[in-house]
Amino acid sequence: MNSTAIDTAGIARALRAMGSAIGAQYVFTTEEDRIAYSDHYSADETSHQPLGAVAPATVEEVQAIIRIANEHKVPLWTISRGKNFGYGGSAPVVKGSIVLDLSRMKKIEVDAENGTVLVEPGVSFFDLFDFIQEHKLPLWLSVPGNSWGSVAGNALDRGVGYTTYGDHAARICGLEVVLPDGDLVRTGMGAMSGSPNWQLYKPGYGPSWDTMFCQSNFGVVTKLGLWLMPEPESVLGFDIDVDKPEDLGWLIDTLAPLRRQGIIQQSPSIGNWLRAAATLTLRDEWVEPGKPLTESVITAIRKKFNIGWWGVAVRWYGPLEINEATSRVVEKAFAGKPVMAMRPTRWVKGDAPEGSPATGVPVTYPLANANWFGGRGGHVSYSPVLPVNGALALDQYRRTSALYAEYGMDYHPSFAIGERHMTNVNQLLFNRDDPDMMKRVDSFMRALVKDATAKRYAEYRTHIDYMDLIADTFDFNNHALRRLNERVKDALDPNGILSPGKSGIWPANRREKRS
Amino acid sequence: MTLFQARNARLALFAAAAMLGLSACGGAGTGNAPSPAGGKQQANAGANAMQDRSYKSDAEKLFVEKCAMCHRDFGMGTVVLARRVEKGQEWLEKRTDLQADFIKTAARAGIGNMPRITRSDVSDAQLDAIAAYLEKAGRK
Repeated sequence: MNSTAIDTAGIARALRAMGSAIGAQYVFTTEEDRIAYSDHYSADETSHQPLGAVAPATVEEVQAIIRIANEHKVPLWTISRGKNFGYGGSAPVVKGSIVLDLSRMKKIEVDAENGTVLVEPGVSFFDLFDFIQEHKLPLWLSVPGNSWGSVAGNALDRGVGYTTYGDHAARICGLEVVLPDGDLVRTGMGAMSGSPNWQLYKPGYGPSWDTMFCQSNFGVVTKLGLWLMPEPESVLGFDIDVDKPEDLGWLIDTLAPLRRQGIIQQSPSIGNWLRAAATLTLRDEWVEPGKPLTESVITAIRKKFNIGWWGVAVRWYGPLEINEATSRVVEKAFAGKPVMAMRPTRWVKGDAPEGSPATGVPVTYPLANANWFGGRGGHVSYSPVLPVNGALALDQYRRTSALYAEYGMDYHPSFAIGERHMTNVNQLLFNRDDPDMMKRVDSFMRALVKDATAKRYAEYRTHIDYMDLIADTFDFNNHALRRLNERVKDALDPNGILSPGKSGIWPANRREKRS
Repeated sequence: MTLFQARNARLALFAAAAMLGLSACGGAGTGNAPSPAGGKQQANAGANAMQDRSYKSDAEKLFVEKCAMCHRDFGMGTVVLARRVEKGQEWLEKRTDLQADFIKTAARAGIGNMPRITRSDVSDAQLDAIAAYLEKAGRK
């Protein structure tokens, strides 16, 4: 979309210099490499195809690449592991960029006593899980639906998980960052060399900078501190199903006060029947291709897999006596409510490992939803943020599901309940072998954003195709936030080399490329 | 519903920022011991989704590190392949028909829902070792 004139001769010189700096075998520029770094889920993979990738292994090598990029004015696109499927994978906003791939940086330093870890960007959730198992550490992860990706990258992109540590960005404590001019900073207490408090005290002294590097293009994070949950004595909770779409309203209004009061401390994610079914079965087994999913089909699928129209898992972590009291409080809150099923769940230390994402076990299983249409599938996510309120959720459900029907797509929503907000993540599941469907995806996404914007809801995160579209919805005082972001960008990155276009932030020399 | 599906039905509650529960029709045992504190012990949602991450050789270790997340228990690849291949053959380590060249092509070019694996993520030498391991693993 933002294809731009790129100085290919300059890039060739830069790539040679980068090869000298980090080893030519870590500069990837074959056609196969270029395709490998494109957006695997895209209808047109060439639209965001990079010219190649470079993969440094140390912070010094990152600094060397940054200096060379400045010298040759080459745009880089930073990825941690590139598994951000549904948001662009490893592909850059600007076609022809060089991907700065940090997946070879895999150092892990755990402070078991304090429950913290310092990870490099190449560390996946599985890597960290294996490390913790190998060293028998009493610490639990919070994992996202796709745990193949980077721990650091996910936190920086404000990814979420299922435990009380599920707001990953909120658990960041201290960063090491290469700035766009090659300078190296450590944030928080890390700014004092040798501080024992880098991963313990978030603010530091004076302004705090950690969140400035979330969803931004202001630096390359080479180390990220993260708090980990000490293994609790027990995990109790309920799996709750409700039978009708309209049950969403009271379900949210029942959970919201419990969440706000801190009785529930993780973010329960209410998903519809398709969120479960898309990983369990194929659409073609139930309805002819191109035909809509009727209520009778939905009922048949739900019956076969015994799933509610909406389902949610809620969990509490800690000492058993506290958790048992919490279970009673939550049960009381649901007394008299028309639940379809409310199954208590229980794990107590000494039991066999519980083994699910609720206890921090990494999975890739949810990615199977891309196979809903049977062939080569994919999805993009549409994720507006709303106040926690049942009536607003019902209104959102009605408007959004109507748009899904209008565009001939299968409604796949979830509502994750935070302390003061809810995030309504909708998957636009598609079949890449269905050109008609692929043509509808873009206009459908734009219609969804238009609908949310009319309600003054914005997305919390978006695909590389829509970063400008979403940035544009932040319009207070004629886009004052954009002006601020651009002033910071220009001050830190005068040559505009780092991830131009990320989150709709464009450097001065490419600002005309904004879509 | 098979036991596998029943567990997946619970795991589906975690799907894509979703959590998934153990369906009543499966009645899958979770292997949980009785709670020391007494009281009724229930299967947790998605219990036992933890895959075997063990290995006995360097090549198998590489497979676990680079591939098992999708190609052992509860991996996306295993779940999707179960729909397409003969029963039991969804586990790459049990496949009897895999050729090293095919494995390398599938990894680099992607196949079905499998994204392409970059040379930074898995180097050519590592992919050679993994392909050689898989070619033999299922034929033992």
